Amino acid sequence: MLTVSNLTAGYGVPNILQGLDITVRPGEMVGLVGANGAGKTTLVRVLAGLLPARGGSITINGSDTTNVPAHARPKLGLAIVLENRNLFGELTVAENLRLAERAGANRPKKFDIPRIVEMFPAVGEKMAVRCDLLSGGQQQMVAIARALLLQPDVVIMDEPSTGLAPKVVKAILEVLRGLCSEGMSIVLIEQNIGIASSVTQRAYVLSTGRIVHHVADGGWPAFLHDPHLVSRYLGQH
Amino acid sequence: MSMMLLAQACATGITNGLIYALVGLGMAVIFKGSRLINAMHGELAVVGAATAVYCVEIAMWPTWLAVTMGMLIAMVLSTLVDIGLVRRLFNRNAREESFLLLTVGLGFTFSAAVLYVFGREEHLLPAFGDEIYEVAGAIIREQTIWIVGIAAFILIGLKLFYKYTDFGLAMMAASIDPDGAATTGINVRLMRTATFALGGLMAAVAGLLVTPMIGVSYQMGPILTLKGFAAAVLGGLTNPLGALVGGITIGLLESLSIVYISSGLKDAVALSVLIVIMILVPDGILGRSGRKGG
Ligand SMILES: Nc1ncnc2c1ncn2[C@@H]1O[C@H](COP(=O)(O)OP(=O)(O)OP(=O)(O)O)[C@@H](O)[C@H]1O
Ligand SMILES: [Mg+2]
Repeated sequence: MLTVSNLTAGYGVPNILQGLDITVRPGEMVGLVGANGAGKTTLVRVLAGLLPARGGSITINGSDTTNVPAHARPKLGLAIVLENRNLFGELTVAENLRLAERAGANRPKKFDIPRIVEMFPAVGEKMAVRCDLLSGGQQQMVAIARALLLQPDVVIMDEPSTGLAPKVVKAILEVLRGLCSEGMSIVLIEQNIGIASSVTQRAYVLSTGRIVHHVADGGWPAFLHDPHLVSRYLGQH
Repeated sequence: MSMMLLAQACATGITNGLIYALVGLGMAVIFKGSRLINAMHGELAVVGAATAVYCVEIAMWPTWLAVTMGMLIAMVLSTLVDIGLVRRLFNRNAREESFLLLTVGLGFTFSAAVLYVFGREEHLLPAFGDEIYEVAGAIIREQTIWIVGIAAFILIGLKLFYKYTDFGLAMMAASIDPDGAATTGINVRLMRTATFALGGLMAAVAGLLVTPMIGVSYQMGPILTLKGFAAAVLGGLTNPLGALVGGITIGLLESLSIVYISSGLKDAVALSVLIVIMILVPDGILGRSGRKGG
């Protein structure tokens, strides 16, 4: 369970995030959509603890996480897949995963290497390979695998589909849907409205640092059929 | 006679080379864990050795205790540099040149402090043993055996540490991708501090091993740093084995140029050959595959 309330943050003088309210319940896959520069990655960095919140609060599973340092957040059940994947390129896949396993060791165990390999067979085949030698799709799978081995309750993913073949995206989304049905909360950040609407139950629309619209459960078809809304907030048709 | 001279030169070259390798290894450790070139590394070696000398000569401590104290002080000093200065620069997103300037400046500060406390003289530490061996006509002192043994121990230890311990792996991960490390539950700041502590310890070990042979003095730092750095770069900077190969190469070049050219030119010859090697194999002697290390 993730609750964000009245969150503000930024880099320079004007805030980029201007008071966001977001709630994600267990077992939900919630979308966060918005055009380039809307502030999606900024929100992810604040949730990760890589950028300090200037106001408002972040709560994970009921405990206030707003000022918890980044490295301590996985212990509270939060896992993040950053926009650039941020794997340890000079280390092997196995070593990347081992570090996450260690960080998640004190949490209730939901994932182990055999299960990860079952979910992503391609990861299993590349265990001894340096991450910087993997393809984009393989890297994305390793990044997701690394996040899952933290044994999280809430996973936030910043545009996992970027640069991947549709087939790979489909495979990854399939896996994510399965995890939600086991009670995991997932925030899927997407620019591709087609992908977002096909896989999430509901979604927040972010524009210049504000939530300007909420697509409620079952509200995707209506949103997609309103060209005015789509072009206004997402700049696409 | 000339065979004997050659054998002696090789023995001396390898011994000195191992010291450069140890200095280079320490710099490689700090580079691996923070992506910084630690230009005060030689001075940390001097501080460690000078502390031990002080404990033996003035405080009259037993050698083992003095040596332990030397290692401890260098470690603490290096750690404090990270916590007090490096961390602050990191927090302000300083760039590489600022860190280089910081460590160069600290190097001068440390050697000035050593000069103030010890004066200009060279100070020797008691050797770890007094035996003398003869191998192929070359005279080998027991201290040399210790240097070889300890260098081998450290090399293997580091390799195992980075490859098989979670802590060593986390130290590398934190420097490769700090954001990725933090979101994987790794305390990036703590890892960098640990890196500086380990680097300081290794600097002191190099200084303590060389002091029974050539004596420590306040101005020894920069040349140790330069040759250690050259050893590390020659080997590919992140690879422990590379620093060893690089260090021995430099040591041999030096001692052979003393025999065959002139002792006054040894640094010039050794460092010029290094430049040529770097141009020919820019990824280090062991090549690109050697760069990963760990
Ligand atoms: N490090 C930074 N320093 C200053 N401003 C930044 C920084 N990173 C992002 N910004 C600004 O913050 C705003 C939001 O950027 P952000 O990266 O959060 O957008 P985004 O929604 O993730 O976009 P995209 O879809 O392109 O990834 C942009 O106007 C950007 O210029
Ligand atoms: Mg982004």
